[in-house]
Amino acid sequence: MSQNRWLATGNFFTSYRQEQRIFLTHLDRLIFICLLVVLFVWPLCVEVSNKQMLVIDNILIAIVAILGLNILTGFAGLISIGHAAFVGVGAYTVASFSRVLGDSHLLLTHGWPLMILAAGLIGTIMGAFVGLPAFRLKHLYLAIATLSFQMIFQWTINFMTFFNQGQTISVGRVSWFTGQIGRNDHYLFWYYVTLSIVILFSFAVRNLLRTRYGRCLVAVRDNDRAADAMGIHPGFTKVYAFALSGFFAGVAGALHAYLWRGVGYESFTLHQSISYLAMAIVGGLGTLIGSFFGPAAMIMLDLQVENLSQVIGKFLTVTMDLATAFRPLTFGLVIVLFLMFEPRGIANWWRIARSYVKLWPFRY
Amino acid sequence: MKTVKKMFWFIFMISCGLLFYSCGEGEKVADLESKVEQLTSENTTLQKDLTALKEKVGEGQVYKLGCSLAITGPTSDAGNPYSKGVEDYVQYVNDEKLLGDSKLVCFIKDDGYENEATKRNFEEFLDEGIVLYLNYSTGSTLALKNDFEEEKIPVIPASFHAGNLEGSHYIFLPIVSYSNQAISLSEYIVANHKKGTPQAAMFINPSAFGRGPVDDLKKAVAAGLKMDILEVVEHGQDLDNTALLKRLLEKKVQYVICHTVQPPVATLLKSAQALGVAAKTYGEPGKLTFLGLHYAGGPDLITLAGSAAEGYYWTTSYKLTSYKDEGADAQLALAKRYGRDEKTANSQNYTNGVQVAQIAVEAIRRAKAKGNEIDRQSLYEELLAMNGYDAYYPLTTVGPVTFSKDDQQGVDTLQLYRVEDGVFQAIGVPFRSEFVKKVK
Amino acid sequence: MIYFLQLVVSGTVVGSIYALSGLGFVLIYKSSRVLNMAHGQIIACGAFITFALTVWAGIPIYLSFIISMIITFFMAMSVERVFLRRLIGEPVISVIMVTIGLMSILDGLIYLTPFGTENFSFPEFLPKTPITMGGVSISWTQFVGVIITFMLIAGFSWFFKKSTLGISMRAVSDDQLASMSIGVSIPKVFGLAWAAAGFSAAAAGGIIGNITGLNFDTLVAFGIIVFPVVILGGLDSIFGAIVAGIIMGLIQQFAAGYLDGHWGLNGTANVLPYIILLIILLFKPHGLFGTHEIERV
Repeated sequence: MSQNRWLATGNFFTSYRQEQRIFLTHLDRLIFICLLVVLFVWPLCVEVSNKQMLVIDNILIAIVAILGLNILTGFAGLISIGHAAFVGVGAYTVASFSRVLGDSHLLLTHGWPLMILAAGLIGTIMGAFVGLPAFRLKHLYLAIATLSFQMIFQWTINFMTFFNQGQTISVGRVSWFTGQIGRNDHYLFWYYVTLSIVILFSFAVRNLLRTRYGRCLVAVRDNDRAADAMGIHPGFTKVYAFALSGFFAGVAGALHAYLWRGVGYESFTLHQSISYLAMAIVGGLGTLIGSFFGPAAMIMLDLQVENLSQVIGKFLTVTMDLATAFRPLTFGLVIVLFLMFEPRGIANWWRIARSYVKLWPFRY
Repeated sequence: MKTVKKMFWFIFMISCGLLFYSCGEGEKVADLESKVEQLTSENTTLQKDLTALKEKVGEGQVYKLGCSLAITGPTSDAGNPYSKGVEDYVQYVNDEKLLGDSKLVCFIKDDGYENEATKRNFEEFLDEGIVLYLNYSTGSTLALKNDFEEEKIPVIPASFHAGNLEGSHYIFLPIVSYSNQAISLSEYIVANHKKGTPQAAMFINPSAFGRGPVDDLKKAVAAGLKMDILEVVEHGQDLDNTALLKRLLEKKVQYVICHTVQPPVATLLKSAQALGVAAKTYGEPGKLTFLGLHYAGGPDLITLAGSAAEGYYWTTSYKLTSYKDEGADAQLALAKRYGRDEKTANSQNYTNGVQVAQIAVEAIRRAKAKGNEIDRQSLYEELLAMNGYDAYYPLTTVGPVTFSKDDQQGVDTLQLYRVEDGVFQAIGVPFRSEFVKKVK
Repeated sequence: MIYFLQLVVSGTVVGSIYALSGLGFVLIYKSSRVLNMAHGQIIACGAFITFALTVWAGIPIYLSFIISMIITFFMAMSVERVFLRRLIGEPVISVIMVTIGLMSILDGLIYLTPFGTENFSFPEFLPKTPITMGGVSISWTQFVGVIITFMLIAGFSWFFKKSTLGISMRAVSDDQLASMSIGVSIPKVFGLAWAAAGFSAAAAGGIIGNITGLNFDTLVAFGIIVFPVVILGGLDSIFGAIVAGIIMGLIQQFAAGYLDGHWGLNGTANVLPYIILLIILLFKPHGLFGTHEIERV
């Protein structure tokens, strides 16, 4: 074999298996490993304030959720205007345990990995259940069905005393081998947990797409009749996509509950669902890498706009409203501009930048 | 098309740059400001000496407060004037040098009524090193209660929910709790009702804020308050409350205690007017008399409901600007000084914001007068000592602000108002509730 | 019985406004297959423009009502021109997301005005005493609002049934290729559909504003409640939207009247439409009057 496994200078694939490799070159793998090391080590070297860590944790949790949404909307082509409700299902699974057992029960504080898993499972079940209309519905109608799930979820949480009628249900501090995680280590601890989960899930998604169980999603998205002809049951596949995305969302929800040390209904409203969709689109629908860029870009943008409007507010004291109007305005503008000029999202820029670096100094 | 695409790229690159550059814009501005200050002060050696002298004496410190509230989103009609009240008073303190050469900085951040954003703001304020925190919503106060305890930081929320105080030492309500207000109103109902037991219903916000006083009022009834609560209605975003009003009338309800924000109350009052079921006089048989707690009323309500607001009863611990006394004058002057419009200036939420800032400033001033270091602990102690002879008398409340270990509610008296000819008119003198003690 | 009749009356009032909002929504969907998530914001714009013209500019209310409808007409038309024209042929999700983006942009723009955070109320120009008939009462504002709503609905129906433009719009919704071949300009029709939707939304906004007062959140909520309405009526049926609007208004009133306060239930009026929506989607996805266009998977 004449190919260079460090710098692939051409296409030397002799089997599909080779083309399906996660890392095409050793260099890719090396860079990736370096990146991982950096991700794990940097909080130890740099002084990070709690607020910044909170924001970073939040981005990571959003990434978990977006990975799920991308399976559903990106790969399987099913629009969900209710993803926040799925995340909410996960969070409220943890909250229910907290309600029944008390917020500092051993199961919650020491058995948190179990709780996260349980939240994921409940999310899966809810996802499959909500996905049932997919047997009969397509496109717009399915989107509206998920919208109604969102509204019903909100009402249920708000109505039932078991869920504290939407008020915050607190979740206790967790323990690790080193003892209870205190206030100062809290955000750092959840950074590592969430980061590990993100890495695990990303590999899972990447691998899923190398198997028939992942490709059947894409097949149904692209042409459900053709998929049907090939022996893929479109209805089941769609429900399966919903279940899978429900699992990711559930895990994200549980992480959310633990990170914020409480679950309240405001975090899972229609507006949040829309934000998730926006993140997926800005990142790039149907791409794995987009699931990282989207949440990071949108959450950072939101914070930046907040800061910017405060700076403006300093100069224009009377027009506070002008400053607060910027958030929805930029949010909307970003979505619209991306859809109009770069529908493939940031992932596309990443692709362009990558190929540029790869070919440099040549143009092609 | 191509150029547009390029433009888009360009804009994106710039925003990317900004993103990375300004990961702490607030601090940068503060830095810049201090730099400018430095530069100007270095101009003359005299000033330089002066600043050196000041540093020696220990003056010229900066005290930091944090305030997170809903300037946008739900309840922003209350949060917006509130934020302006806080902002203006802090500005006023600095302009008038009420704290000597020390400077008061209040970080005001919008949280859009979302607990998550509140928590993020709170963490940021902590990183900034605030000594006292002003919170807003009931939901976030309850959600962050554990954090307040752990951080041992005194907190004054805009929510007067009695549940805030349960299991918490560091939360101080600026005026009496919702429960207290509801019970006081009910006592007024009982005292002024003509025949038999008054039949009442509650019309509340579907949130922690709305549900706050329900249980306590029921307890008061169980403790011997001669009133029946027939129904507790959680309103939605209804366009029309006809069904509700008819149902209440069928149940022979005569009094509706409203505890929500102003728009739903306005809708309710308008529906009542449309049906002709609003009582013209207090307790008119076969009609409904509407009464509201602090957030369910105010000058805004009259703008919203128009003539339907006539005869609406409302209670709060604040003086309205229609009072026309020195408090009102001071408030209007403050609002005018910082260029607020008339609506904000007359809003009781503006009063509320000013009062909350006043309490904070007063605590700092007292701690400073005693020569104590201004930190969380000293402010906490100052707040707890605010009673008896040391009670604090703001101009715009109907009673003094008193805090102690077992009374973390500020102003303990309430004033009843009634809408007459499009203005809230005070009825009687400020009063206190009797049954509250029995409930506890 | 009086209780029941009263619920019917107030349900019809609310329902007719739903019908008018639903009408605008269906217009857009029917011609261009766009699910407009920003409908609530357009309604709010209409209401605010009417208010600004009436109170701040001092124009008589009926005149400002009409002017606001005209302004919104052109506003919606330019929205279509700027944002949606270039998305023709893009996947469904892009189109939905563009309207969501639009929703946010309009939110932001409205927050720039005092309307975003403050509450306003129209000056009362009708008698305050309600009309009462046998124990059933309705306020003058509501009464006039309903009459205007029905007049507008009748006008729209006439427009679609009889006028050349209306017929060409219907033609486009039936078969784009065929209508193109006989010389109907498709982009023009799309623009016109949006414009007509803006027109009706402004009318709805003006009427709602008069009945409840102007609160941004309340007005925007109409953009979401319109979904159950149009699904019930059939996404592409104008007649369906009208009938379903009134049905939905009645359902909400009955829910509030008979369910709330019993069995510990509360606020059912807010959730029942969505439960109905789910049921309809499962068993009769094309609604009461919609075309049987969706294919089973």
